[in-house]
Amino acid sequence: MAPHSHGFELELAAEADNVPLVRHALRGLLEASGISDERTADIALAVTEACANAVLHAYRDRAGYFEVAAELAPGGRLVVIVRDHGSGMAPRVDSPGLGVGLPVMAAIAEALEIDTPDGSGTLVKMTFDLGGACA
Amino acid sequence: MNTIEVERTEPGVEVVVVTGEHDLSTAPELERQLKAALDSGAAVAVDLMRTTFIDSSVLRVLICAREEADERSIGFRVALGDSTGHGVRRLLELTDTERRLATAPTRAAAIAGARG
Repeated sequence: MAPHSHGFELELAAEADNVPLVRHALRGLLEASGISDERTADIALAVTEACANAVLHAYRDRAGYFEVAAELAPGGRLVVIVRDHGSGMAPRVDSPGLGVGLPVMAAIAEALEIDTPDGSGTLVKMTFDLGGACA
Repeated sequence: MNTIEVERTEPGVEVVVVTGEHDLSTAPELERQLKAALDSGAAVAVDLMRTTFIDSSVLRVLICAREEADERSIGFRVALGDSTGHGVRRLLELTDTERRLATAPTRAAAIAGARG
């Protein structure tokens, strides 16, 4: 779907090189919202961790894709959904991560929901308070 | 610009300079550079003074490098100061991992600390 002024939707191959593209789109969206650079960096961190989970954990050794939808919602909130269609949140003993992704997301987002819609893949929904700047 | 460069202008210390933003897309390259630096026989300083953003993949690489340096008795410091980006300091704060990195407040202090 084409980007519009209040959000964007991306469908990307689950590859590490695509994660910076998500941050780029996110910063473009937040630029006009008037929030601080620090808050933008925090949100970029939380969204990066969600995307990293999709890239590193969802598909293991097979190819796949993930979707990112971000929307500036009424009341000065940003809602970001990161969705993959992989193997879900199974523990991984050879994890290339530190295991801190979820706590980081939870600390930065005002609300964090994790779901397995339709019984496959993982959907992470984060809601960020932008301090009413977009109300 | 997002770069990882190794500077060898300081005697006895390999300085790995991480500039810009880095995440899981560049963490493997940082891991390679740090491994090469640790294998060089010199002490290692990582300069994060111009790093604007890292994710937990990069943090993991830095922590593992520090632990390997300790195991092999190689001097290791990470320069983390006022010019380091908010995105870096925020991740360290949220994960309470700064103490695991052997940080120094300036590049010069990190080089001196790595030399021991």
